Amino acid sequence: MDSLSTLALVEDETEVTIRALNGDARELEWLRAIGLFEGQRVRVLRRALFGGPLHIRVASGGEFAVDRSLAKSIQVES
Amino acid sequence: MSDACHPRSDGRATKIIDGAIVALVGRPNAGKSSLYNRVTDGDARVGNFPGITVDVLEAEAELPDGYGRATFVDLPGIYSIEAATDADTDEGTARSFIDAHEKASAVADAPPFAVIQVLDATRLALSLRLTRELASHASRLALVVTQADVLDREGLVCDAELLSTLVGVPVIIVSARDPAAKSAVLALAARLLRDPPRAHAQASSIDPDATAKKVLADKASVADEERARRSRTEKIDRWALHPIVGPLLFVAVMSAIFAAVFFVAEPFSTAIDRVTKGLGAKIGPRLGGGYLASFVNDGLIGGAGTVLAFLPQIVVLTVALELLDASGYLARGVFLVDRFFRRFGLGGKALVPLLTAHACAVPAIRATRILRDPKERLLTLLVLPLMTCSARLPTYSLLVSTFFAHRGPWVQSLVFVGLYAAGLVTGAIASAVLQRTTVRGRPLPLVLEMPAYRAPEASFLRKATARGVKGFLADVGTTIVVASALLWVLLNVPMPGAQRDPSLAGAPAAVVRVNNSVAASLGRSIEPVTRYAGFDWRFNVGLFGSFGARELMVGTLGVIYGLEDVDDDPTPLRAQLRDARTPDGRPRYTTRNALSLMAFFVFACQCMSTVAALRRETRSWKWPLFVLAYTYVLAFVAAVIVYNVAGWFTA
Repeated sequence: MDSLSTLALVEDETEVTIRALNGDARELEWLRAIGLFEGQRVRVLRRALFGGPLHIRVASGGEFAVDRSLAKSIQVES
Repeated sequence: MSDACHPRSDGRATKIIDGAIVALVGRPNAGKSSLYNRVTDGDARVGNFPGITVDVLEAEAELPDGYGRATFVDLPGIYSIEAATDADTDEGTARSFIDAHEKASAVADAPPFAVIQVLDATRLALSLRLTRELASHASRLALVVTQADVLDREGLVCDAELLSTLVGVPVIIVSARDPAAKSAVLALAARLLRDPPRAHAQASSIDPDATAKKVLADKASVADEERARRSRTEKIDRWALHPIVGPLLFVAVMSAIFAAVFFVAEPFSTAIDRVTKGLGAKIGPRLGGGYLASFVNDGLIGGAGTVLAFLPQIVVLTVALELLDASGYLARGVFLVDRFFRRFGLGGKALVPLLTAHACAVPAIRATRILRDPKERLLTLLVLPLMTCSARLPTYSLLVSTFFAHRGPWVQSLVFVGLYAAGLVTGAIASAVLQRTTVRGRPLPLVLEMPAYRAPEASFLRKATARGVKGFLADVGTTIVVASALLWVLLNVPMPGAQRDPSLAGAPAAVVRVNNSVAASLGRSIEPVTRYAGFDWRFNVGLFGSFGARELMVGTLGVIYGLEDVDDDPTPLRAQLRDARTPDGRPRYTTRNALSLMAFFVFACQCMSTVAALRRETRSWKWPLFVLAYTYVLAFVAAVIVYNVAGWFTA
């Protein structure tokens, strides 16, 4: 399990799997609904400048802009 | 109610009880509004951006086989109804709408209520997550899978029958841009409304990913084709979101929009104004030319003309925003500005209302409903009135062309850019300050869907614009006309006991009347205070007029100088302002006065429509009054500072 990390640390164009989400329960419900749930495969496409949001693509279809602080709270495994 | 009107489940053509409601629900970008337009022959717009369909739209449609009419409702795009944070946001609205109608329809003999979820075939697994939630909220549920055309191009097929079996609710596949989609959806709705309500245990326990995988099948080896489609959005994004080119492009697009508002709208505004003035000139004499004629002419038609003159600006900005939204670029803009906005306590999504506010604050206030976070939403509402709305432009134009014309077009343009920048900068500062003092807390982190780029449909663009215009006329137009009529009364009713000014001997009757009016007396009474900002009673009267709607400033100054048609061609008023002399022969107004009046206009929330909209949106008087208070205090302080600082330079 040495490959555990957070989404914020994933390099561009690398695919990872979401393992755990941290934060407010209601917010997590919303994140899962939107498509960021445990088991989802995610690829980071790019990042905005100066610590801005990440542009990601999920395996279920769909691309999202995700805030970096939020990406830090998403645990992933490569 | 007669037996014939009851829904039956025997499959025979049975008239549905009047008042049946069908709600369209779906994730943002699922093609829901597009389908809604198709079904209702066009009453909603394409909502490509999360929740831009802010109002719950409804329209009646005739169901097939003589089932009668049903009301179709277009609910805002949502990801989840379980995770709604605030009843006022899109998700909250959708949830309370569904729950309330579900409850109401459970009563015996009540009109039936059905939910049709619109699913994006290319994002089926994600869409089915919402299906799972809807299953426990709606007792009549069906699925419409859209974007079948896109799926087809990708070489995929979606098995509707299998999906229906797996989920346990009726399913159809359509392409929203195909006219045949209408009858298919209407037939589905009729079937849903006729069948008895039931629980959807099967649908509420599906595995979205597994289900999607089962029903989608490769038609051929078209992995290449899919890559080709994806590559279009990818290619555009490579430049649109490029670390250096992206932000530059964004600034260029925004500048182009403002330039368009400014330059494209101008000739149209002039033309509309001329028409209303011509109308006034025709009607006036028929009313005898007395007080009544003056009231109808200056008060009512003048007010209506002022309203109409703003339509072109509203249209240009609405079209531009719709284009940005429907094409998918708006989401990219949000991605680019998010980090920057966060410095001031806002999130990137606030870009949409803040941009809209440059046309008019009232639709912008409604556009804040896309913000899920109540605190971010309130903060956005509080700073929106500082953006340079189109109603400020006539006053800016008058002052710039009067007092800066001799400095050349470059200086004039710079002053305008400076005024727009002043609105943005003070908005940012106000937001940062309010976030630390009044509205504590940070905005929720950004999560935003980035839709694939697509070409907007012209018909929806047209309808969205028509709705924007209608909304402006109803919300802002009526206020302007009422304010204009009230202002006429204040400007024409003489102040009891007012002394005749001997210097006005020989002046036109209208000028004398205005000089002795209630408004002039009030303006003079606060002159000792407003003197510090360089405002004399004439400016004060203009500010009274623009308290209701700042659009009225230029017209009011024109009335004070006894001129007609100043909105149309401000040259005479310009000359009057420039040539006006104080009794000791010095110019009455200089660049100093112009700058301080502009500073006042940058800050002051001189717009009762905005106050009313804030009252509606926050459901209290506290916040609208707070906005009035803080913007007027800022406005006066800024005007005094500008007047005095400018004084050092001109002295």
